[in-house]
Amino acid sequence: MDPSEVEFLAEKELVKIIPNFSLDKIYLIGGDLGPFNPGLPVDVPVWLALNLKQRQKCRIVPPEWMDVEKLEEIRELERKEDTFTPVPSPYYMELTKLLLNHASDNIPKADEIRTLVKDIWDTRIAKLRLSADSFISQQEAHAKLDNLTLMEINTTRSFLLDTLNCMYKLRSNLQPGSSGGKAQDHQ
Amino acid sequence: MPGERKPMRYGHSEGHTDVCFDDAGKYIVTCGSDGDVRIWESLDDDDPKSINVGEKVYSLALKNGKLVTAASNNTVQIHTFPEGDPDGILTRFTTNATHITYNRSGSRVAAGSSDFMVKVVEMYDSSQQKTLRGHTAPILSVTFDPKDEFLASASCDGSVAVWKIEEQTQVTSWPLLQKSNDVINAKSLCRLAWQPKAAKLLAIPVETTVQLYQRDSWAQVGTLSDDLGTQAINVVAWSPCGKFLAAGSIGGLLTVWDVESKLCVERQTHEKGYTVCGLAWHPLGGQIAYTDTEGCLGVLDGLSSSSSSSSTTASSTTTKQAPASYNDLFDDDDDRPMDEGISEGTCSPAKNPGDEDDDDDLIPATGRARNRSAFLDDENSLDTGSLKQGLDKFVDDDDSAIVPPAAAAAPLWPVYDGPMPTPPQKAFQPGSTPAHLMHRFMMWNSVGIVRGYNDDQDNAIDVEFHDTAVHHAMHLTNSLGHTVADLSQEAVLLACPGTDELASKLQCLHFSSWDTNKEWMVDLPKGEDVQALCLGQGWAAAATSALILRLFSIGGVQRELFSLPGPVVCIAGHGEQLLVVYHRGTGFDGEQALGVQLLQFGQKRRQVIHGEPLPLSRKSHLSWLGFTAEGTPCFIDSEGVVRLLNRSLGNMWTPVCNTRDNCKGKSDHYWMVGVHENPQQLRCIPCKGSRYPPTLPRPAVAVLPFKLPLCQTTTEKGQMEEQYWRSVLLHNHYGFLSSSGYEIDEEGQSQAQKEQQELLMKMFALSCKLEREFRSVELAELMTQNVVTLAIRYASRSRRMALAQRLSDLALEKANQLQGEEPQEEEEEEPLQYTRRNTGYSQSSSEMGADRQHSSHRQAQEEVVDEEQGQEEHMDEGDVAESKRQGLNPFAKGTAASPEKPSPKPVSKEGRVNPFKVSSGLGRSGSAGGQNRVTNVLDSMMLSSKKPTALLSSSGSTGKLNKTPFLKPLAPRPKTKTQSTLLHMNTPKAANKKAVEEPAVCRLKQTEAPPPASPAENVENKKHKSGFQLWLEDNRRIILADNPDLEETDVIKEAIGRFRTLSADDRLTWTERAKGQSGDVADMKKRKRGEEENRGDKNGQSEADETRQSEADETSAKKKKPFDTSAKLSAFAFNKN
Repeated sequence: MDPSEVEFLAEKELVKIIPNFSLDKIYLIGGDLGPFNPGLPVDVPVWLALNLKQRQKCRIVPPEWMDVEKLEEIRELERKEDTFTPVPSPYYMELTKLLLNHASDNIPKADEIRTLVKDIWDTRIAKLRLSADSFISQQEAHAKLDNLTLMEINTTRSFLLDTLNCMYKLRSNLQPGSSGGKAQDHQ
Repeated sequence: MPGERKPMRYGHSEGHTDVCFDDAGKYIVTCGSDGDVRIWESLDDDDPKSINVGEKVYSLALKNGKLVTAASNNTVQIHTFPEGDPDGILTRFTTNATHITYNRSGSRVAAGSSDFMVKVVEMYDSSQQKTLRGHTAPILSVTFDPKDEFLASASCDGSVAVWKIEEQTQVTSWPLLQKSNDVINAKSLCRLAWQPKAAKLLAIPVETTVQLYQRDSWAQVGTLSDDLGTQAINVVAWSPCGKFLAAGSIGGLLTVWDVESKLCVERQTHEKGYTVCGLAWHPLGGQIAYTDTEGCLGVLDGLSSSSSSSSTTASSTTTKQAPASYNDLFDDDDDRPMDEGISEGTCSPAKNPGDEDDDDDLIPATGRARNRSAFLDDENSLDTGSLKQGLDKFVDDDDSAIVPPAAAAAPLWPVYDGPMPTPPQKAFQPGSTPAHLMHRFMMWNSVGIVRGYNDDQDNAIDVEFHDTAVHHAMHLTNSLGHTVADLSQEAVLLACPGTDELASKLQCLHFSSWDTNKEWMVDLPKGEDVQALCLGQGWAAAATSALILRLFSIGGVQRELFSLPGPVVCIAGHGEQLLVVYHRGTGFDGEQALGVQLLQFGQKRRQVIHGEPLPLSRKSHLSWLGFTAEGTPCFIDSEGVVRLLNRSLGNMWTPVCNTRDNCKGKSDHYWMVGVHENPQQLRCIPCKGSRYPPTLPRPAVAVLPFKLPLCQTTTEKGQMEEQYWRSVLLHNHYGFLSSSGYEIDEEGQSQAQKEQQELLMKMFALSCKLEREFRSVELAELMTQNVVTLAIRYASRSRRMALAQRLSDLALEKANQLQGEEPQEEEEEEPLQYTRRNTGYSQSSSEMGADRQHSSHRQAQEEVVDEEQGQEEHMDEGDVAESKRQGLNPFAKGTAASPEKPSPKPVSKEGRVNPFKVSSGLGRSGSAGGQNRVTNVLDSMMLSSKKPTALLSSSGSTGKLNKTPFLKPLAPRPKTKTQSTLLHMNTPKAANKKAVEEPAVCRLKQTEAPPPASPAENVENKKHKSGFQLWLEDNRRIILADNPDLEETDVIKEAIGRFRTLSADDRLTWTERAKGQSGDVADMKKRKRGEEENRGDKNGQSEADETRQSEADETSAKKKKPFDTSAKLSAFAFNKN
């Protein structure tokens, strides 16, 4: 899976916008949107919000969690806990990227938010690497990780799977005859 | 005890705080660990003035307009008060000062510091310092002897010392406190307090008690304690009179003792139990302000010692002062034995003299005996000398304990203690935030936002439109200093107050203008300031300080101006409507006395609401005024209650929502920006902890639902009732809109009607289920005929035969009405029509006039027929026409009859008689003769009527036809005038009479059997016509729109069905309106007739004049008559029946 595909999925998330035009309900396959009243908040998918924003047809209201204080809390919690903590949105990284890239003027303290989200992301990726490392080094057969987002899984998937495959091949080549492979592998 | 603890409010960030009052007691001043000093006008002050004095403020003191603060930069600074400008540094320490205090005169300041030193500094020469050394730990608190001789200090070393200031020596010292190494670690702040005035006592909080030490002897003379106080006392404060001592403890307990009796007279607990660390007594007593370590500010109000500080205080003191309750009070008072009064009697005379003059002999040891008088004295000591005299008497009375309370009361309380006038609220723009803010919203409405910036770099106005299709955003430099603004789809209107050199200006940016000049400006006359302004469609209005409301066209032409009955509060415009709210008078006890006027411009100019009182919630003020997007007036008061004008209920205001119900916190508010009836939305901005939003971050609009405050809305029944009436109320605007000639959303309207009927049916089913058959019938009466048949089916299916029977009677009655009274067609949309009449009153009346004229023509033709056919019944119009004709003829001709009194009589008789005659005839409405006539009439009418087909159906239809042409053009028709002149006069009268009769008739109709009923109905029809004719125009259109295929009779049936659903009240109001209208019409017609006569009369001018006179007489007679005639008529009707 490509990161852009994950981003594409994230664009389905709803976000509040304040339109500056007036339009009746629009009927789409995915559901009805609107009606759009100038000055009145309305929920639309991110893709539409960004499109309207680019045409200067709306103002985007940042999601509730996109707030310096809340993110700071999350960051602290994330650093404190060894396991993954629940994130405010399953697409927090994508949404932050999208919204901050296209509508940073509508988001107060955009830079701080960007940094905070990056911090959270880094912390989580570090944890992910660490757990992958211990997974491999301990030669576990399976592991369970909660609260991972799609994007996070996606970053490690291709590499991890390939690596595991590769290691498997190496190991099976290493000792074609021996049966107690694993214990020796380790050394 | 009657002390009232007001809810705490957030003042500073968490940490140590301090509080004091200014000299006059007008402001509460607090400081906190956020480094700010805040000046509060009251506890409810949403926008206290902030002065930043440092990183942290440990203590503050205020006297003579000099604010002294101990800040974290180790200095003691001076600021001016209330401006807050820095005024130098008083002194410095090597570490921060912990407590500072003024002496009584304000000439010196004492400061204790963490560097173990106490400094006494002269205010006017900070070089003159006296340093008191001797403590071996940080100073906790300092206090001056009111006589300026001594100074007491408490320190973390556990000692409380008294110093002789001049000699800078320690006089005495008591090891009373627990030792600690820093203020932060001290168990208690141990704020000392020296008794004011008498200066006899020094109060020292020690653990859970307060110890009192006597001046000079320095011996402990008493201890104040409270059984409930389990935690150490932090601060103490004397009441200004020196008789009471308040203390705040670590656990948040506030206690007030009467020092003489050592009794606890007031006990309150902090609402969250936080540590009280600041305590100040209002300079007039009666109020204690306190702060806690969480940065919150609270006020304890209504304490016994004041009678002037606030209205609540006043009221509470009054109760206390009333001699009758006085004794009770003391009986209640804690543990005071009953026999106390006796001892008091003996003791107090001796003490009285001193007591009154001064408090010199006030010794705590006196004990309870003096309690009462002391208490009393205290109550008044804050007031003037006159009071004291009264006081004497009272004390005497009290001592003798014989004087009847009433007698004592009169001389006792010369001070006015009645309701206090409320300061009138200032003029404001709805949708703006306060003008003193540097960044503010000057207007936020459904069109856009106007923001004003007024800071060092920039003085500008930003205009932004919600819908960028209206106009692009604008940025204006605000060189004139505009303070008020309004915004519409056409223009931006700005105004600034006048200055010494410049007059107040009104500036309009008319961006929708098609020429190149987009701007105009008007100077107001000298000394007249714009206070409020608004924009409508094609006009602008400005209310000025000269109590004048000036109208301008949007292009800048000056139009009408008129005087306002009082100072304006705010004005709002929408379309052709102008809503003005002004002060009707002075409100009392927190109430505002506001009046409201609703004016309608356009072709029919008139006043819809004539300065009636605006119904606000108790003790609230107006906070928003405007129109819904659909044009219904609406306002919100400071309690958050939204009220909507109910045009179908005599222009009463109906509460439709309480925005405060949706608030989470107590100090949260919703700031209204717009109201929509369809969809039902209240658009507002949630404001956390304030009444209005800041400009940044940009606030987001939230949508609140409407909710009528009906009873028991948790039950299913209540919910449905609420829904039904909400739907009825919020769809009133259709009627108004159509009456004022706007296009309406027919689909939405019919949908609303459907929804209402569905709700009725649901309620019907529910009450059936609950075995409430009577209620079911009541509900059925609100239904249209179609739905009633459904209800019958439902009832019979659920085996409620009795109910079904009643319903079928009801249905029958409705059907009868339909057939008998075609006019009811018009009633189809009764609610709507009502509203129309209200709003489009003048219009409709003019239309009515036109109708009348037509009908009169017809009638004239018909007359012949009538005479031939006798009492054949016509449709309403026919009847009306007849009556009119008969009445008219005399007048029209200007014959001898008109000038004399008799002439009105005959007319009236005819008016009365005809209805009945006709009605008898009407019973057989279907008769061929009637139809013939009708057709005849129609033939004549045909030219005007649009639908020839309709003619055939019935007289009622013809009536409609006649009306229809008039309906569409809203303006009255000039053509008709000439023709109708003859008829005009009569019609109005007839209408009046009919209208009056109606109620009686209705009753008759309902009670009587069909045959008698029909006449009654006829009468009603006539009435309707009178009212109806106006109405019909509208109805017809609607009916046709709804049922294009229906034939006239069917249409009528349908109409009747709908009419039936109207409540009796509705019908009544309808008839009343008809009356009023007819009156108007009558006047118009008279004039017209006069003209005609002038032209056509062979008798010449003199006669014409005569006739005019007669007309005038007649009209006046009519005006007087209504009641008489109605009585007569009803009597007549009854007799007949």
